[in-house]
Amino acid sequence: MINSHRDFEIARDQGWYRIPCERAPSRVGADYLAFYQTKLFEEERWAVNYYAPIRRYRVLSRRTLLPHETEHPRASAPYYKIEIGALRRLPRGIPSWRLRRVTFIPTTLERLLTAEEINDLWCGTTDEEELWRAFKEGGVSAERRYPLREADEHYTVDFALFCQNGRVAVCIGSEAIVENVRIIREYPLIDDYEAAALGWTIVRLDRLGVAEPPGACLQRILQAAENLGGVAGTPAEG
Amino acid sequence: MRLGFPVKVLGQPGLRSHDSRRWQNRPHLSVSLAYLRDTILYLERQDIRMYRMASDLAPYVVHPDLPEFHSQIEDCHAELAVVGEMATECDLRLSFHLPLTSVLNARDETVAQRSAQMATAHARILEAMGLGPEAAIVIHVGGLYGDRDAALARFVQYHERLPPLVRRRLVLENDDKRFSVSDITWVHERTGIPLVFDYLHFRNFNPQGLCMVEALERCLGSWPAGVTPKIHFSSPRTAMRIIDRKASQSGSRESIMRAPRTLQHSDFVDPFQFADFLRECERFAPRGFDVMIEAKAKDLALLHLRQHMSRIDPARDCRVGN
Repeated sequence: MINSHRDFEIARDQGWYRIPCERAPSRVGADYLAFYQTKLFEEERWAVNYYAPIRRYRVLSRRTLLPHETEHPRASAPYYKIEIGALRRLPRGIPSWRLRRVTFIPTTLERLLTAEEINDLWCGTTDEEELWRAFKEGGVSAERRYPLREADEHYTVDFALFCQNGRVAVCIGSEAIVENVRIIREYPLIDDYEAAALGWTIVRLDRLGVAEPPGACLQRILQAAENLGGVAGTPAEG
Repeated sequence: MRLGFPVKVLGQPGLRSHDSRRWQNRPHLSVSLAYLRDTILYLERQDIRMYRMASDLAPYVVHPDLPEFHSQIEDCHAELAVVGEMATECDLRLSFHLPLTSVLNARDETVAQRSAQMATAHARILEAMGLGPEAAIVIHVGGLYGDRDAALARFVQYHERLPPLVRRRLVLENDDKRFSVSDITWVHERTGIPLVFDYLHFRNFNPQGLCMVEALERCLGSWPAGVTPKIHFSSPRTAMRIIDRKASQSGSRESIMRAPRTLQHSDFVDPFQFADFLRECERFAPRGFDVMIEAKAKDLALLHLRQHMSRIDPARDCRVGN
């Protein structure tokens, strides 16, 4: 994410981007880096418009990276300096329709070059991808891998639907590429009580097409959304 | 006992083992280290405490025609230290296995020298990461060239020429058709190099007819005191293989079925076989060891084995899982 003109100029003219090590996501390794631009960028706002090949990572203090900001509270903290090649413009910008501030999405170059909107970038399980396709074909607005936070716990839901009178969280049962090998997820799936306390209605799905046909899954989700007044449109500028 | 797996992570799609871009796209060790950092976070989450890093971690680092890649290790000292510290904090045992193209005992001096350079580069990476003596570099004896004694003697001779930095890290594995546990024991007696017992290789190639416990004891006893030995374990493939090939006459694609070979690794490890092996070791082997699981399903095989061990041999589960 780029939220200042200075950082954009650094990326474009000096060829680097920074991430504080302490707040780095679980995936920083990549061959390419693409930038989501926030509302500051006017015509290019709320979208991914540029990407660049990654040349080199370094671990440096913020003071070394930005020598004019030695008084910054994190001046001594280590940062990843990601050195990049020349910025390339995407064939078409990738908008975030809900204006969600996207920090990090690990994806593939192929997806980056073909995505129509930001949620297309996520690489999900087969079930997740199938449901996302069904949402898109049905014109249902949803957000993928939506983060929830309750006290010190971080959760994600596979899909979030924002309705007129509430929110629907969709959680898909399968967790691993091999169904019966247990993988510990980075963020646990939220349980029903926590979700309800945060004002979410949970729809849990077993493996699509096995325990429950995809059409029936979609109907169940849409019914839950209907009970909350139907899926809302794109929000106003935030 | 730690359980580990080699290189490729299958449990988290998209997690890469190293920067695999071709030289034209300027791959870099620092990019590989960023991938390694992500992998360590994944391993920590799964409670996996042993991992074999990709032998191409530093791409083209000794390639004779690409000198622009040769200084990557010096250039990345800070990043290597950061990732090494992270591994140490996670109690993660890291290792390398030299690629099969590295033949330390090659008759061709150029090949032998390049292999020594490759081993040196790997040793320098482990040193720069600040890792202890358990972070080993696994190699095989190399080429047989029709003369076993000469091939073994050449290995000993070339081993002596290696810098101490490399000799400290190298460990020697028995293979499945050239050099047996007896052969590598011969090398150990002349060089002091620690030995890695490979279970499947031993079962496939044991011309001296050693019993398993004796072979294992020889290997475990070759490691210095205070350094936990490691072994390799895998089950032979038993499933049918379906080969997709071009028909010689028509040129069209065809699928043929083949029975498995016992040299091939299976996708997962047979948990009963593993439990029996551990039981036998417990009765006879003098010291503990870590186990590198070599199965096609990689980390998934390890996790699967752990799940099943907790069911079929619950008394041992605490050792296998931690």
